[in-house]
Amino acid sequence: MTSLTTTILSHKQRVCALYKEAARNLQSMYPERHRFRYHVVLLRDRFDQNAHITDVREAKKILVEGEKELWEKHYPSRIRFGESPGGAAFNRTKYIPDWVLDTWHPYEKAAFPEYFARREIRKKEYLERWENKYGQKAAEEV
Amino acid sequence: MSKYNSTLSLSVLKFAMKIISKNAKVATNLTRSIVPVRYYGAGPPLDRQSIGDRILLNLKLFDKVDPEKVTLESRFKEDLELDSLDHVEVIMAIEDEFGFEIPDQDAEHMHTPALIVQYIMDKFDVLETPAH
Repeated sequence: MTSLTTTILSHKQRVCALYKEAARNLQSMYPERHRFRYHVVLLRDRFDQNAHITDVREAKKILVEGEKELWEKHYPSRIRFGESPGGAAFNRTKYIPDWVLDTWHPYEKAAFPEYFARREIRKKEYLERWENKYGQKAAEEV
Repeated sequence: MSKYNSTLSLSVLKFAMKIISKNAKVATNLTRSIVPVRYYGAGPPLDRQSIGDRILLNLKLFDKVDPEKVTLESRFKEDLELDSLDHVEVIMAIEDEFGFEIPDQDAEHMHTPALIVQYIMDKFDVLETPAH
């Protein structure tokens, strides 16, 4: 959960986010799979007990209390996936899209004449292949 | 003196050869018994079939899902009768399976396993057919 709200979330979205965050929090707290699952089942039961509440104000109050409880009980080093936001390897390998090469200055391209000559041929072949597969009309629409 | 030395060295040499050959045998046996394991590897190669199989296996092991009803096209809410918190648990299982986090705004559009397959193919840039 972030402290800065940038989007408007519905009640359902907030409840789902709270449940997921709380479950991941329990996973960080109990690394053994069986203990983690046991506590998640208990957590799920707490959510299911309040599932039938139709009064919006009461439901929102319970939700805010739940978020506060999660903040108070949150584990200091939550489990994160390495390549995902917050992980140790997040953005470690930079993805540079292929079209960046087309934005090079002609002087820069002149340093690699063979490569860029072949690249132009490959681009032409790619367009032809695309037109053969999807048709001329589709190519015009795009 | 030289004779004595040479016999000694010869016996030492024989003994050493014996040990080396014995150890070599042990070493070859060891290398044969070690199963190669790739730690921190890139993971198995992904294609549409294998991604779908892994997702379906995860779903079939989920205790609220009837394993015989699950297909790639079955909808979580209508066909499998999972509520939104069950859906969160399914998404968490998929995250653990493929080792990356699925943001909430992406997860809520995944109504069928086929949509998850498509999402993972887009994420890891898996090609539909082999490159030309």
